[in-house]
Amino acid sequence: MLLQLNHIYKWVKQGGKRVFLLNDISLDVEEGEFISIMGPSGSGKSTLLNVIGMLDEFQEGEYIFDGEPVHSLKEKQRAKLYKEYIGFVFQAYHLIDELTVYENIETPLLYKNIKSSERKALVADMLDRFNIVGKKDLFPAQLSGGQQQLVGIARALIAKPKLILADEPTGNLNSKQGEEIMELFKELNTEGVTIIQATHSESNAAYGNRIIHLLDGSKQLQPQN
Amino acid sequence: MLKNYIKIAWRNIWNNKLFSFINVISLAIGFSASFVIGLMVYYDFTFDKFHKDGDRIYRATTQFISPEGTDHFNGVNALLADALKQDVSGLENVSAFYTYRPLKVEVESRDLVFKKPNHVIFTDSDYFKVIDYNWLAGNKATSLLEPNEVVLTQQRAESYFPNTPVENLIGKILMYNDSIPAKITGVVANFEERSDFVFQEFISLPTALQSDLKSMVTNTIWDSYNSDAQVLFKTLPGVAGNTIQEQLDNLSKSRADKDDLADGEWSRFYAQPLEELHFDTRYGTFDYSVPQASKKVLLNLGIVALFLLLLGSINFINLTTAQATQRAREIGIRKTLGSSKKQLIFQFLGETFLLTLLSALVSVVLAFWLLRVFAGFIPSGLNFGLFANPWIITAMLVLLVVVTLLSGMYPAFVLSGFKPVSVLKNRLSSQTSATGFRKGLTVFQFVVAQVFIIGTLLVGKQIDYLMHKDIGVNTANIAYVKLPWNDAAITKKKLLKNKLATIPELSTISLGGAPPASMYINSNLVEFSKDGETIEVLQEQRFGDATYFDLYGLELLAGRKPINDTIKEYVINETMLHKLGFTAPEEAVGQQLLMGSKSYPIVGVMRDFNEKPLNSDIQPVVFVGDIYRDWFSQFNMLHFKIEPKTQDLAGTLEKVEDIWKSVYPDSDFEIQFMDETVANFYRSQQRTQKLLNWATGLAILISALGLLALVIYTTERRIKEIGIRKVLGASLMELQVLLCKDFLKLIAIAFVIAAPIAYWRMHIWLEDFAYKTEMSWWVFALSGIGMVVLALAIMSFKTLRTAMRNPVKSLRTE
Ligand SMILES: Nc1ncnc2c1ncn2[C@@H]1O[C@H](COP(=O)(O)OP(=O)(O)O)[C@@H](O)[C@H]1O
Ligand SMILES: [Mg+2]
Repeated sequence: MLLQLNHIYKWVKQGGKRVFLLNDISLDVEEGEFISIMGPSGSGKSTLLNVIGMLDEFQEGEYIFDGEPVHSLKEKQRAKLYKEYIGFVFQAYHLIDELTVYENIETPLLYKNIKSSERKALVADMLDRFNIVGKKDLFPAQLSGGQQQLVGIARALIAKPKLILADEPTGNLNSKQGEEIMELFKELNTEGVTIIQATHSESNAAYGNRIIHLLDGSKQLQPQN
Repeated sequence: MLKNYIKIAWRNIWNNKLFSFINVISLAIGFSASFVIGLMVYYDFTFDKFHKDGDRIYRATTQFISPEGTDHFNGVNALLADALKQDVSGLENVSAFYTYRPLKVEVESRDLVFKKPNHVIFTDSDYFKVIDYNWLAGNKATSLLEPNEVVLTQQRAESYFPNTPVENLIGKILMYNDSIPAKITGVVANFEERSDFVFQEFISLPTALQSDLKSMVTNTIWDSYNSDAQVLFKTLPGVAGNTIQEQLDNLSKSRADKDDLADGEWSRFYAQPLEELHFDTRYGTFDYSVPQASKKVLLNLGIVALFLLLLGSINFINLTTAQATQRAREIGIRKTLGSSKKQLIFQFLGETFLLTLLSALVSVVLAFWLLRVFAGFIPSGLNFGLFANPWIITAMLVLLVVVTLLSGMYPAFVLSGFKPVSVLKNRLSSQTSATGFRKGLTVFQFVVAQVFIIGTLLVGKQIDYLMHKDIGVNTANIAYVKLPWNDAAITKKKLLKNKLATIPELSTISLGGAPPASMYINSNLVEFSKDGETIEVLQEQRFGDATYFDLYGLELLAGRKPINDTIKEYVINETMLHKLGFTAPEEAVGQQLLMGSKSYPIVGVMRDFNEKPLNSDIQPVVFVGDIYRDWFSQFNMLHFKIEPKTQDLAGTLEKVEDIWKSVYPDSDFEIQFMDETVANFYRSQQRTQKLLNWATGLAILISALGLLALVIYTTERRIKEIGIRKVLGASLMELQVLLCKDFLKLIAIAFVIAAPIAYWRMHIWLEDFAYKTEMSWWVFALSGIGMVVLALAIMSFKTLRTAMRNPVKSLRTE
């Protein structure tokens, strides 16, 4: 088992009342799974991904990642954990505008204190794999949306994470670009990377081997069709 | 990692060219001021630090102690050196020296004459035992023991005997004032480090008996102090300064008049440690030709530099935190990519350091230029070469780091504290608090700028007042020349006066002493008996012939002027009149002033005039003729008026000089103008003014740049809002008010804080003057309005353009 959420509650106080963003979420994720989280806008998909990615806190429940109880870890240990095992892909790509493609992909390695020669090799591999060698000295603003998302994925993968969290990775792309990204995810998954993605789209969700439906922060039973 | 940081820092600097420029310029101004002032501090604090046994070297000075307070005097009497040797224990060496100003020195073997050599002293061989020199020729054991011997420094030797090996100089003869020969017995190296011991020629003390200093050197009156008489001594190792001072106190008291001592009046010799010499303005140094360093001035300069640095740092903090939202996304991303808070802090501090470094580089150029602008303030020995000094370089680096931390810490913590989720979701709550902080800093900037502005205006007003106040003395078109003091014959002076009378452009020529208003002091104590009581008055004397009064527009209120030049009759001023206990001028006429056992009549009363700079009140002044002529003529200047209609001033002055040369062929002709003399009273205030103008200009510049950047930034953020408001029908004026009112509020708050601070500070400054300009309300109002106008101008530069934009365009781009 890669991670396990047990009865997670997350709320914010509004006018003295609790507004639940996540309401009693329990979820087991095995290594090698490809999970799609579906639900309408505002249903809590991003919140759930951020909690899994340890970027966001929750008020109640247990979260065990790779055998470590995340809920009782200190900030520092938690940061170490996600730095080691998790990669993020965002709807808005979130590349650093001031850095080139090459430098964007390289950045996570810098924070892991990897030697320069090794970094070079790793980044070169990644550029090769995604066919963007020719773009390596361009800045994000000079790329199309699909290309930017490719760079985003390359960056998420560079540190060889066990888990990729993708929050509507194709939300800003046209359907053809979206399909390419999904194919890529499929391929990564077969290579053994665990993927959790949030999406609106039924067709994208279908790339996953399990679909979780969220509504107002609660997990819904999977409707049978 | 570092490379990555530098790269992104550089790109950030480059992409925000305007803001970076503002940051760099603001900091560079602060840095350059700090560098220059740091150089001055270093320069002045490193005087005489190198002497062998420097902690055992003292100079004797004099304090005149009385119940009213203590006066400080830089010289001693001629007996002190011997008294120290006999009565004070714990001293290794005692040396007496007398500063000497020969008119000329002739280098016999080269038949060359040098006029007025400076830094010449008569001294004994002990001088070289107290102050250690490196001997290039001769030695200290055998030098200056006999009359008519002289030791030169290498520099002086080089100017008298260019390109001559120093060994060859031994035995050469110098002839002072045509009558005093001196054989060179040694040459010493000049000090390589900074020293107040500026002397270049050391003539053996017995030689002084052949000079006009004879009476001073042989004076046996204990109470006769002279600023040219100096004593240096060195204590034995391990002897504390206070044991010497105790003995000096005992010595001074034992020689004091018993009655005076009982009244609390005595003259105390003070052992001034070498380390106090450079800064103690009460006693001065040995070189009067340059203004003495003052810790107070250095402190004030330091405060100015500190404020400029603070203003620059504030710009940096404000601009960086204002831009935080733009940086926030990058921070959020970096955190999701695994960056720790610490790493982010280092990244931002690194960026700050890079900017600071850039500013420092710019500031070196600025400093070079500032050193030229302020050449008048800066000692001539201080040059750009000092920048290479390791201490200075270390201090600069430390300053860089401090400024980096000062300006970078807060933004770094604010920025690195952003939570990645809220950043990526565009929910930034930490922003509001930074806005408050930013406002506080902006207010601080404007407080500083405003205080500087008010200060500048008031200093300007005071100086204007000093320069234009009627001092009761004519100054226009009046000039005077100093007559040669070594040619005292009154007949020659009269000859000169009569010859000058032939120049038609000159009128009202007068022989006299110093002008009515001048820095010269010539005072004596007189007694006056009235109703059985005797009062003592210290009176300042002004000497002149019959025309002196008319020339300078002095006015008699009662009585008459002295009937001739040499009769001892006194014309007193109103202040003196009141001191003597009279109210009506007529009452004093015919009264007698007592000097010693003799009495002299008051024959007239003149209207008060300011005989000194307006820092001080009018003191008792008397006008007399040349009453000491039998002993020493006090008519040592010749005054004249140049007809106001004179076209060819230079030609007229040439005629005066020609006549001068015919009477005094050997003496230098130096003309001074009365209006300049009065203006020169306030030279130090004018220097303060110049400095303050600069500081104010720079403070305004930095604050204005900061304001401009903030306005650009906040206005950019509101482009969409402005577009919508415009579509809804807002007028240009309404938009302008909307955009500017927040900043104007800050400026108003700043004014409210600044006005009392400026009032208080200027009140202190004005306390130095007996005559003060008013701290008028309009000065404050003017400076406040000026600030608002300036701020509006700066803001309109951006806000007007924004407000005039086509709303369709701005809404589309959003
Ligand atoms: N920190 C927060 N404070 C208040 N409301 C929040 C916060 N975070 C998320 N929300 C709200 O929770 C709901 C779920 O948000 P989100 O997880 O972004 O949904 P989704 O990604 O499914 O569109 C939304 O209604 C959002 O406005
Ligand atoms: Mg979402």
